[in-house]
Amino acid sequence: MGAGPILSMQALSKRFGDVVAVDSVTLDIEDGEFFTIVGPSGSGKSTLVRILAGLEQPTAGQVMLRDGDITNVPANQRPTCMVFQSLALFTHKSVGENIEFAAKMKGVAKAERKQQALETMDVVRLPQDYYDRSVTQCSGGERQRVALARALASDPEILFFDEPLSAMDYRLRKILEVEMKDLHRRTGKTFIYITHSLEEAMVMSDRIAIMRAGRIVQAGTPNDIYRQPSSRFVAEFMGEVNTFSVEGGRIRELGATAAGVDDGYLVVRPEYLRHLGDGDEADVRFSAAVDNDYMLGSRTQFHLSVDDQVLIAELPAAAAAGLTIGERREWGFDLADTAHVPE
Amino acid sequence: MAQSRTRLLAVLLPLSLLLLAGFVVPIVIVAFYSFIPPRSFEFSSDLTLQNYASAIGDGYWRPLLWSAIGALLTTIICLLLAWPTAKALDRFAGRWAQIATLLIALPIFISESVRLIGLSLFLMPGGGILAGSLDALFGVSIGTILNTHLAALLGLVYVHFPFVLFPLLLGFSLVPREQIEAGRDLGAGRWQLFREIELPLTAPGAAVGALFCFVLSLGANAEMTILGGQVVTVITRAIEQRFSYAQDWPLGAALTMLVIAVTAIVVFPVLKRIDMERLLKR
Repeated sequence: MGAGPILSMQALSKRFGDVVAVDSVTLDIEDGEFFTIVGPSGSGKSTLVRILAGLEQPTAGQVMLRDGDITNVPANQRPTCMVFQSLALFTHKSVGENIEFAAKMKGVAKAERKQQALETMDVVRLPQDYYDRSVTQCSGGERQRVALARALASDPEILFFDEPLSAMDYRLRKILEVEMKDLHRRTGKTFIYITHSLEEAMVMSDRIAIMRAGRIVQAGTPNDIYRQPSSRFVAEFMGEVNTFSVEGGRIRELGATAAGVDDGYLVVRPEYLRHLGDGDEADVRFSAAVDNDYMLGSRTQFHLSVDDQVLIAELPAAAAAGLTIGERREWGFDLADTAHVPE
Repeated sequence: MAQSRTRLLAVLLPLSLLLLAGFVVPIVIVAFYSFIPPRSFEFSSDLTLQNYASAIGDGYWRPLLWSAIGALLTTIICLLLAWPTAKALDRFAGRWAQIATLLIALPIFISESVRLIGLSLFLMPGGGILAGSLDALFGVSIGTILNTHLAALLGLVYVHFPFVLFPLLLGFSLVPREQIEAGRDLGAGRWQLFREIELPLTAPGAAVGALFCFVLSLGANAEMTILGGQVVTVITRAIEQRFSYAQDWPLGAALTMLVIAVTAIVVFPVLKRIDMERLLKR
């Protein structure tokens, strides 16, 4: 990692008519990091990355690459490259011609271009005999590799990815997530990745920013965000969680006391709810009925009900053994295992 | 299998009959006529190549050449005009583009002769719409291009422009926007984008439009008669004269077969290279 951010967004905003797609985003990206911007559809993440790539002009704010202002530099003159959601491969060109495109634009001689293309194909593990193949003959995973190779071959300082895995099936996505992370490590380039899947972001990223309605609501390492979400939105976006509202030291949904907890919300992950036997201690105790169970392999998920509130608990197989559906039991969790969010 | 085949044949039957009666039979008759002795009218059995000898030897290459040059120039000019128009209409899709497209399409609903006579009134010298208005409003007197090759060419371009534009619009709609953005992102300048991405991707649409334009222009007659006056004799006019005034049907038939051959030489190689399926399966 170098000194200082490689890319710096300063109060970036983008309006389309009355719609504010990106709302005053300020964010620094470190040199060589895998940074992921996550958000639901319509959160402005795609627009943000298009501004960074130079495909869209911001309404206000600045984009700095190292110390230079690149806000008004057109896409074809930025040392960055984007992998599109559709991959945007040139369907009228061969695999080799796609990968060599940037070099051809720079006027690199044919032989040298081919040499570079073959080397890049090695990097993304694309067999060399694909060089003359038409991109329309390639499978989904191969096309993905061609798109990666094409972007890498342009030797950018920063690579942008706009949900390139979202159209893949689950198995292929898992394989490519690992490859992407591996590729990042081997190339040492800065990756800025856009996705709506927090799971994907968690697997791959050094840091994550969560975006909502054009704003960055939280940025940090996956661990920070997992342990200490800044809001209910972030916590609920992270996956299945139990959210309780706290007022005057009492948890409203459970009718239980939570001593010393400020007003706001408590977020409890399913794995931290446990059923209590005789003499088991817990900071917060309540009684709940078991509604349903779902096998998740090594763990079992239970849906519990307290009045009309449904809670989710996940227990390892051993702890799940004694539970039967319909049974009412004592449950609890410790405050150390919860995250407190003000809103 | 056998059943679906019968059904397909039943569906295709009316069109097949129409093509047989309106296209195949006349062509066979014309082809036959082109081999009977000059100025005769009977289906005789002594066939000859004499009509083809006259068609090639008696200076008919001149009107044929004019037709070919006219069709080629019309196609080139229409392509040069239609490409940027289609690009603009595609880029600024929306209400404005819809109105523009409608304005371009509207004249097609008016008879070609009416439009050409209108154009000729516009270009007429002295009291013509253009010359007269310029004279009355600004005191400028101008000549006219009416009855020149230029006027005929203007008419050809005017009539055939939509036939190039609409296939090209279809061609542009098949160019994914992200491919153009990807090209830009990978460092392509405006000219490189045009050459590397836009042109090859719109080529099928342009080729279909160019074929329509070339074939229709090659067979055009009205533009020449109404706007070109007596100066321009094109092959269609020559053929018409063989069949009417000259009463030499066999020679007219031979000339017709030559024009069909020229058309086929141009059309088939182009058609072979166009991926019609890609254009139509959209």
